Amino acid sequence: MTADEPLTVTDSTLVLGIETSCDETAAALVMGGYDVVASAVSTQIDLHAQFGGVVPEIASRAHLDLLNPMVARVIVEAGITDDRIDAVACTVGPGLIGALLVGVSAAKALALTWDVPFVGINHMEAHLYAAFLEDPTLEFPMVVLLVSGGHTMLIEMQDHGRYRLLGQTIDDAAGEAFDKVARFLGLDYPGGPAIDREAVHGDPEAINFPRSMLHEGLDFSFSGLKTSVMNYVRKHPDVSTADVAASFQAAVVDVLVTKARRAAEQAGARGLVLGGGVAANSLLRERFLSVCTDAGIQGFLPSRAMCTDNAAMIAAVGWHRLRSDGPTALDAGAYPNLRLQFM
Amino acid sequence: MLILGIETATQQVSVAIGGHEGVLGMFEVSRGRRHAETLVPAIEFLCRQADIEICEFGAIAVDIGPGLFTGMRVGLAAGKAIAQALRVPMIGISSLDLLAFPLRHADRTIAAVIDARKGELFYAFYRPVPGGVQRVTDPQVSSVDDLVADLMARGQNVVCVGDGALRYRDEISSGTMCDFAEQFLSHPSAAPLVQLAHARALREDWVNPRDIQPMYLRAPDAQINWATRAAGRAGGAT
Ligand SMILES: [Zn+2]
Repeated sequence: MTADEPLTVTDSTLVLGIETSCDETAAALVMGGYDVVASAVSTQIDLHAQFGGVVPEIASRAHLDLLNPMVARVIVEAGITDDRIDAVACTVGPGLIGALLVGVSAAKALALTWDVPFVGINHMEAHLYAAFLEDPTLEFPMVVLLVSGGHTMLIEMQDHGRYRLLGQTIDDAAGEAFDKVARFLGLDYPGGPAIDREAVHGDPEAINFPRSMLHEGLDFSFSGLKTSVMNYVRKHPDVSTADVAASFQAAVVDVLVTKARRAAEQAGARGLVLGGGVAANSLLRERFLSVCTDAGIQGFLPSRAMCTDNAAMIAAVGWHRLRSDGPTALDAGAYPNLRLQFM
Repeated sequence: MLILGIETATQQVSVAIGGHEGVLGMFEVSRGRRHAETLVPAIEFLCRQADIEICEFGAIAVDIGPGLFTGMRVGLAAGKAIAQALRVPMIGISSLDLLAFPLRHADRTIAAVIDARKGELFYAFYRPVPGGVQRVTDPQVSSVDDLVADLMARGQNVVCVGDGALRYRDEISSGTMCDFAEQFLSHPSAAPLVQLAHARALREDWVNPRDIQPMYLRAPDAQINWATRAAGRAGGAT
């Protein structure tokens, strides 16, 4: 297969995916858009933990060191030779510019060297596809609740490549609220897992934090909640951190699942899917499934590994984009503020 | 052996192909689109025009800096990927060596000076020796004042080369007896890169693509602010 003649995209087309948009360096091989042949993720959380957030320059340096070993590992794990790879897909945005550029440069160079097509991928679109990798039988239309450190969105997937934005946060993303509250409470970074762990020992009904915009529309707001947590703790310095964490988490999750259910009902969706890093939160996972059962909607919860950043979802979208739009030109760059195209 | 040279440590993108006959082809541009957009198409173009298949390269040479981090990593990431895919070794050469080497016929000390931004410079001193140049100080990152003081302390006529020397020409020439190299020599080029790399390749003085390390000279700026962080995590997991 060469890049000069159009690639016929089939069930046996093998795509190498590369992901370096934030603090995970990942590579994966996916066949036919659904079948994960091999996937490797190296997380840099430990490198950034002491700073309480992702340091862009540290992330970029780590990607440069880690990317080659990740690519080598998936090729070895898959037990294939390089010439079996039909295309290289890589996140081109959104994300940290310096971090994205490491992956994009390497991916384009691999595509050129192997003489196969390059496909530039929108990271957010890849999160939408994560669920398909674990359940290819999911049917359209479906609603995806995408919750990460940078995004909180409700998106209706009408078909491959056809998306409608139903709602999004008007201020902080849910993951950002977790990080900020964790930091305020003196918990570890990243805040999501830290609050999740702390909340286990607390009473989610101890403090009735506000559920912003719970009864209005499908947009979210988490900035007021974060402020009221801070105000509460300042007024009650002896409050149990576990109770605050549990009550805060309960408020966030309440809003997320209520709106996700409303969105699915309004869109007449066949299924409701959870995605993004915050989808690893235990309470959210539990409440999400019970809400789906109550509403009689088919709910789908990808595994934690598929919710957080990985390259299998990049390769999967790569397969779909290659089939619908063909390759991306080799003069593509990285686009830190890339947005998802909505109808 | 054919060598592909990749140089992206300053605002210039430079790609060259070299072998035992010397430099066989070169592409260079120092304005316009960004490194990542230009580099891989430039490699493709150069190979096509020189009628060379990528699989013919026996080693990949890259500029390992010091230089602008983001640009430098574009070249390193691409070079490492090509070397890994071809299963060939890499040769890393400093940007300052590449600036000094074309001045090897000068009869005096050479100061290779790269603009490090934020009012600082990456620089090192070299002296001409038969067949090349020899670095006489370690590459360092310092203020313009430090370089000027360093030049004055030498008390001899030095030739300065590099985009840093050009940018601070007035400051440098006010207190010293320096000359300045031609403007077209002010960015490290992939032509000396493949030339120097070829000599190293003959000695099999090369590294595994996994082990090649950029010369940053500066610790990462670890300032976090929520605004840039939110943008950075736009795609991030939690
Ligand atoms: Zn993500």
